[in-house]
Amino acid sequence: MTAFWPSTEPVAPARAALVIIDMQIDFCAPGGWVDQLGEDVSNTRSVIPAIAEALDIARAAGMSVFHTREGHRSDLSDLPANKRWRTRMHGLGIGDQGATGRILVRGEPGWQIVPELEPLPGEPVIDKPGKSTFHATDFEQVLRLRRITHLVIAGVTSDCCVQSTFRDAAERGFASVVLEDCTAAVESRNHDATMDILKAYGGRWGRVARLADFAVAAGGPHD
Amino acid sequence: MTESFAGIVADPYHWPFDGAWSAADTAMLLLGFQAGPVEALSAETEAACALKVAKVAGRRGIALIASRRGTSCRVSPTDGLQWRADACPAPGSPDWQLVASLAALPLAGIIDHPGDNAFFATPLEQILRSRGIRNLLFAGLPTDGLLHATQRTANDMGFECLAIADGCKGTTTERHFGQLRITTFGNGLFGAVASSGAVLGALGAEDRSSETFKETPDDA
Repeated sequence: MTAFWPSTEPVAPARAALVIIDMQIDFCAPGGWVDQLGEDVSNTRSVIPAIAEALDIARAAGMSVFHTREGHRSDLSDLPANKRWRTRMHGLGIGDQGATGRILVRGEPGWQIVPELEPLPGEPVIDKPGKSTFHATDFEQVLRLRRITHLVIAGVTSDCCVQSTFRDAAERGFASVVLEDCTAAVESRNHDATMDILKAYGGRWGRVARLADFAVAAGGPHD
Repeated sequence: MTESFAGIVADPYHWPFDGAWSAADTAMLLLGFQAGPVEALSAETEAACALKVAKVAGRRGIALIASRRGTSCRVSPTDGLQWRADACPAPGSPDWQLVASLAALPLAGIIDHPGDNAFFATPLEQILRSRGIRNLLFAGLPTDGLLHATQRTANDMGFECLAIADGCKGTTTERHFGQLRITTFGNGLFGAVASSGAVLGALGAEDRSSETFKETPDDA
């Protein structure tokens, strides 16, 4: 139990939050952006059942639950020029019209969270223009107002938005855990490199654990 | 009108993305080249490489900004959670000092930061914005710590970023290359990576080299 968190336990279940990163159609469903680029979504899709289980565990334990979506304003005023250029080099960039609407634009079909992991009413959804959930969002303010001190992070992709959010949470003093079997990358070797980096030195920015560890920690006694 | 430099041969694209970089809009960040970390990582070669690039960049008018990580514990402002101490030098200690050769550079500023990310809880972004900086060259220690944490945030902020592969060193070789591979994935999710030779070449230094960083040439 104590081994799950990188520091002391949360004083109450609601002071810990499960944060599900970017489980959007564009990243992890057939027909979404990554799929339209001809890349393999089997890795990012594969963690959907495990994340659904993590959500069940968190909700049953009375934890806070957050979801995030990467996306931009429809006028793309929050899209850095180099980010637009970089994604357009793939042939279909952010803001372009794709098979599931405009790529990573807020409100479009492909930008939605996959139906299997649909947020429940009342669960905050953080819309973020960057990789880190803390960048240019109200995430930190909502966490502080709810006096949340501990984060459990899952979702996609491990090497990108999950790693950014985990690192930034550590900077801000949140005790954080990444669930390694509830996160994935498009390329497995980048996932493996990320896990090796995040586990180094016993978890320099927090802890890396598994869904089964989370089930035990969330089901255990809270002081 | 400030002279525009030549594009840099980098992975996965010629840097910067729009071909526009000059002394007026570019800064070089020298992250964590402190006595303790340089010794702990045996990173004398990488520090010397960063210094070599910095000297040329400085002569060409590029702003040089160094950073020092300096605290031994992390405290949450909400409830006093304290992180375990890690290998981080105490401010003012000999290990915390910038290595002398870097400290002797004509630095535009020194940023002191408590964690890995030189942007967090510091005026770094404000300093860069007020100078009109759009492009950032990165060198630092370790690759999987200060260097990448800071480059990630800069990238989210819209800065065009280039990591100098031989001007940084990881806590292991695998983590160094793993982190740089993640940087270049997806046509440069977090920017580009180049060798010091390629940067020096673009800056018109004598030891011009078109050599580029390429760990895995078969990358998509």
